[in-house]
Amino acid sequence: MQALSFAVPGGLATVVVLALAFTAIVAWGIRETRSLPAPRRRALRALRVVTALLAFACAVQPRFVHETIQEIEGRLVVLLDGSRSMTIRRGGESRWEEAMAALEGWRGDADAAELVRFGSATTPIGWDQLGDQEPRDDESRLRAALEELASQDDLGAVLIVGDGTGPSDEGDPELDGLKVHALPVGGERAMRDDAIAELQADPVAFLRGEARVRVVVRSLGEGGTIPVSLVREGSVVKEAMVDVAEDGEAEVTFSFTPRRLGRAIYHVRIPRAEDDAVPENNERSFLVRVTRDRLRVLLVAGHPTWDVRFLRSFLEADPSIDLISFFILRTTSDLTMASPDELALIPFPTDELFREHLGSFDVLLFQDFDFGPYQMASYLPRIRDYVRRGGSFAMVGGERSFGPGGYAGTPIAEILPVTLPPVGTPSERQLALGAFQPVVEPELANHPLVALSPDPSASAAHWARLAPLEGANRVEGAKEGTQILLSHPRVRDLSGAPLPVLTVGESGEGRVLALGVDSSWRWGMTSAGASGDASGHERFWDRTLRWLARDPALDPARITTDRERYGPGGRIEVGGWLRNDAYQPVEGELRVEVESATGEVVGRVPVEVGRGGAIEATARAPLEPGAHRVVARREGDDEPLATEPFVVEAGGDELAEPRPDPERLSRWAEESGGQVFASGDRLPPLESLDATRRRSTGTVEVRPFSGWVALVLTLGLIALELFARRRWGLR
Amino acid sequence: MLLFATAASAILCAGTVWSSSAAALGESSRVEIRGVAIDGLDEPRETARRRLAWEVRKRTSIETRLRPRRARLDDPTLFETPMLYLAGDEAFEPLSEAEVVGLRRFLELGGFLLVDDATGGSSSGFDGSVRRLLQRALPRDPLRPVPSDHTVYRSFYLLDRPVGRVRGPGSLEAIARGDRLAVVLSRHDLGGAWARDDLGTFTHPVVPGGDGQRERAMRLGVNLVMYALCLDYKDDQVHAPYLMRRRGGRP
Repeated sequence: MQALSFAVPGGLATVVVLALAFTAIVAWGIRETRSLPAPRRRALRALRVVTALLAFACAVQPRFVHETIQEIEGRLVVLLDGSRSMTIRRGGESRWEEAMAALEGWRGDADAAELVRFGSATTPIGWDQLGDQEPRDDESRLRAALEELASQDDLGAVLIVGDGTGPSDEGDPELDGLKVHALPVGGERAMRDDAIAELQADPVAFLRGEARVRVVVRSLGEGGTIPVSLVREGSVVKEAMVDVAEDGEAEVTFSFTPRRLGRAIYHVRIPRAEDDAVPENNERSFLVRVTRDRLRVLLVAGHPTWDVRFLRSFLEADPSIDLISFFILRTTSDLTMASPDELALIPFPTDELFREHLGSFDVLLFQDFDFGPYQMASYLPRIRDYVRRGGSFAMVGGERSFGPGGYAGTPIAEILPVTLPPVGTPSERQLALGAFQPVVEPELANHPLVALSPDPSASAAHWARLAPLEGANRVEGAKEGTQILLSHPRVRDLSGAPLPVLTVGESGEGRVLALGVDSSWRWGMTSAGASGDASGHERFWDRTLRWLARDPALDPARITTDRERYGPGGRIEVGGWLRNDAYQPVEGELRVEVESATGEVVGRVPVEVGRGGAIEATARAPLEPGAHRVVARREGDDEPLATEPFVVEAGGDELAEPRPDPERLSRWAEESGGQVFASGDRLPPLESLDATRRRSTGTVEVRPFSGWVALVLTLGLIALELFARRRWGLR
Repeated sequence: MLLFATAASAILCAGTVWSSSAAALGESSRVEIRGVAIDGLDEPRETARRRLAWEVRKRTSIETRLRPRRARLDDPTLFETPMLYLAGDEAFEPLSEAEVVGLRRFLELGGFLLVDDATGGSSSGFDGSVRRLLQRALPRDPLRPVPSDHTVYRSFYLLDRPVGRVRGPGSLEAIARGDRLAVVLSRHDLGGAWARDDLGTFTHPVVPGGDGQRERAMRLGVNLVMYALCLDYKDDQVHAPYLMRRRGGRP
């Protein structure tokens, strides 16, 4: 097949203009020769026409392109749909049984074709394994399967045995000349079924905030008014009635308000009619992760300092943080020289902060704050208990922190990751003066609080560029089980070990941090003055706040799933990373397990840890609908390294559109030159199917007027016409 | 948060509170009101910064460096302390490009500059030089009057208007960077009201208000230091309703 085009700027528009211009030239030439004798008139007119046509062709440069086709006699593959939509029944027989009946007839032809099953991926299977197969795949990725097969150069044709269903947004495959034959199963599209065709829910919702789920209900058949329910833990949260036209769809959006933090599973249901072809798609489920809308931080500072100023500025500027700060601006030892009415001061609302609202904060920061003068001793047990129940607490250094702050022997000392000097230790022994560059503990260099770059050497260089810190709080030492992330290069703690500067740990369910300096602000402004980079302070505190608040992105071990909802037996792509508490890849033999809602392990795959602790694995979802989870464990250890929940739906996306799509298969077969068979027909032997692949090997382009011959000929004809005109008395 | 603010307003039991006394972790922990050194420009009130530092330490919980230093704007140590004080009573030559760049970076990185026109006049040579300097350092950020409800007038003391050695204009001027005042310009000769000699005698008479005006000038100085450290802390929800009530509903 050839295609004509023109290699002239402006394309067809230019061609039309030139055609009109050359026509005018021909007309003008004909008019000029009217007075000549007939033989000369005819000769000149013919010459003008030929010259004009040739010049026009040279000007517009016609281009003829045709495709060259290579025909290859290739292999034949029978592509069997193994997805769950093949379980749908019609008249007592399922699509799978219909397909099996056809394939049984071809068993004798096994040598003529390979057998490949497709669903979420393609899997070659032997003809002798056919009886062991079950349609359990949670997806029908037919287009991807065809394109994968089309990439095999020696494959000539594919015979699709399936119902033709697939994702609604799946387009046509790039077949590259591959011939497609089709054996559609499942009959015609007409069927009787009510279904939740689509469900889109907010994966994350905020506590006491409004969350939404959009539901599309489809009724195949008569239509009518259908009640739709949103259910949680067996209770109907919302209900709505939707009017659905015959073979039509209707949409409803539910708004709901989660009132508990954590993961919650919701269900959307419609009633099951007696003649409903696919009752599984009358219910869908989804998981919602309920979080606070913003991180709630309480910052209490013992007095205004530059460290306080820059930390508060950072916290204030972060829109994801809801900050309550309280600074002690004066004590009664300060002589304000003013009456209370002349002062813009308010009393320290200790009772309100530490009794009424303590539990509402995610992170509590004490920055160079001594509790003693404010009658706070009675609140310290509450703070300890708040942390042990899952809150987070950080003490930032200064002359009023740690030992000098009077915390030794208090409930706060119980939760701190460092041991404070005993009561009575002289103040000068509790402070280390002078500038110093903190040392990052090498074995913890990957910890997110001190890893300033993914590259350890770049991180070390970054630390070297940060401005030195000024002075530090001396403590007795770090507690057992904690992590010293930064230490003093010269000063020893009271136990003789390098002085911990930044120590992190856990107390009960909560996280605790001790930063024994009051000059971290110098990592911002002062560092920028020396090196131009002001990001050190912000980066450190951003990581610190997120770590304290248990941001999952900073967890040493975390696993993820490619989706949150699967069908029974669906393929789960597991990813994530498994690192130990030092943020080093976990060693030893590891496994990923799928646990059902009852805690039963229904699947297990070994995994290997890659660079940075990354893992990849493929698992299968349980067959039982409900909330389940994927768990990573070390071999021989029951304690999970990481978990991730997911939902199994009886229907899911795979059964949301139950109608077969034989038209799609037929169209692909027709366009590729293949045949379409009906499962009830007498089927031809596989070896008789045409497996010739017609593949384009390229195009050939011909431009007949692009050479010098055409140009010289045109010029010659023009010269000849000019000569004849002059000779015969024309100008 | 409304709950917080309401309850905070109701609690009036400050009681007797005493700060523990201990050595600082280092001089950088102490707040320094560092003077700006400019070639050819003498500091007109030499003791003013020392006096202000002493008053701030005496009146508030802020630990100040009692012998504040001076630094040129091109000094690499400029970024060691985030507050600068520039006072003068005469015009000065245009600063070098390095000094202008140093000032610009200081302010952009979060520094605070208090400019004090010691002439107390409206169009002094110092005032002109300072405005040209600020125009070069922050050409896109103009000086604007500070409204009377700004935090700077209630960061510690409740004040109605700025006063210094002279009563001066009814408002301060400032350059804002975002929500933060980076530069505050006073034409009230604040340092003239603060300065004392070694015997403790005030070195300059205050006109026209006498000692009451001097005290208000000192309170403004305290407020400015407090503002440099706390910024809009007083605008927090915890404080706003409480202060509004104390002011009888005035913003």
